[in-house]
Amino acid sequence: MTIHERFAKIREQTAEVLHGLFHGMIEHPAFEQIEDEAMDQEDAFFFACFADAFGIPSPVSYYTAELLPYMAEDFEAWERRLWDHGSVLDWKGHYHF
Amino acid sequence: MAEFTFFGGKGGVGKTTVSSAYGVKCANAGRKTLIVSTDPAHSTSDVFDQQFGDDPSEVAGYENLWAMEIDPEEAVEEHLMDIRRQMAKQVSQVVVNEIDAQIEMAHNTPGAYEAALFDRVIEVMRDESEAFDRVVFDTSPTGGTLRLLSLPEFLGGWIDRLIEKREKSLDLYEKAAIGDMKPRKTVDDDPIIARLNERKETFEFAGDVLREDATFYLVLNPDELSVAETRRSIDQLGGFDLDVAGVVVNKVTPEPDPEEDGKGARYLRTVCERERERIREVEDEFPVPVVARIEERTSEVKGDLLRDVAAELGIDVAADASAPN
Repeated sequence: MTIHERFAKIREQTAEVLHGLFHGMIEHPAFEQIEDEAMDQEDAFFFACFADAFGIPSPVSYYTAELLPYMAEDFEAWERRLWDHGSVLDWKGHYHF
Repeated sequence: MAEFTFFGGKGGVGKTTVSSAYGVKCANAGRKTLIVSTDPAHSTSDVFDQQFGDDPSEVAGYENLWAMEIDPEEAVEEHLMDIRRQMAKQVSQVVVNEIDAQIEMAHNTPGAYEAALFDRVIEVMRDESEAFDRVVFDTSPTGGTLRLLSLPEFLGGWIDRLIEKREKSLDLYEKAAIGDMKPRKTVDDDPIIARLNERKETFEFAGDVLREDATFYLVLNPDELSVAETRRSIDQLGGFDLDVAGVVVNKVTPEPDPEEDGKGARYLRTVCERERERIREVEDEFPVPVVARIEERTSEVKGDLLRDVAAELGIDVAADASAPN
């Protein structure tokens, strides 16, 4: 490995670390906040659609049931989230396992 | 496009008789007519002594006359199966099992029955009606009918808000996708917005048809309760921008001959006197005309009697779409 190659490699690694640092400290928290808001909005949307899941009679749940096939996966998480807001695993998508 | 006529009113005033008679009258005038019963307690079958199903079938012994009875229970069941089928296509069995309870619940709420009925009515207006010149709806008693007819506006507003909410959250998702990240969801290919829009268009269609191509008649009996309820109905329908074209007074007691003076005759005269007062009240105070006065019959109104009643209906059936009757 020549000295040039070694320098290039170090530069590459430094760039990656810096980019990671930038992403972790600035970029990621920023869009995570927006995503938080998006999820809150989505939760509100779910609630408007399926209030009857919490015992509030909803005249439109017959129609919104049609939407369930498309949001089935989110629906389940939402229901758990609302029943038990303290659940660690379902607290929005914040835990990046 | 067919013309739609709705008959509404309190329970037991004879909506089925009047709408059947009207159907017969239209058919006799040479217009291909479909009678649709939306009252869950169907009695069209009894009037014509023939069992009708969820699809239009010809009425035996009459020309140009067809009838059907909407079965909301079947419609609810179908809707349920539809969603389950769709679900099986979209997600895994594990998720299906989790969500099933919610779907089941949505179909067991009291509103489900109404929604299914409403869906079916729209379907009839959009698809089945094409083969007919005139479609006569024999509706369920007042409360249900009013709710049914107010649904397009009510649901339309609701769906609007849902769409707005959904778009807002999708917009935020897009904004959250910085750089070369792909947004998790976008407005353009969101099946949920597409579905909601589809619903919205259906409700708008129903609202337009009800306001523009439909005529409403209320049936009442000459008694105090019936008159009071009809008065309220006219107001409420007006509130939904649906104008009542007229009222039909049914079950008017026949007057005894003048030379009769038995106990029965005296009783009948008193009843008639009271009823005449009520009818006068209706004529004077209601903002809509009385289009027919039908005498009470001693036997069930069927067969030839139905034709007699049809003749008594003062609703012009020959009028075409350009001149509403």
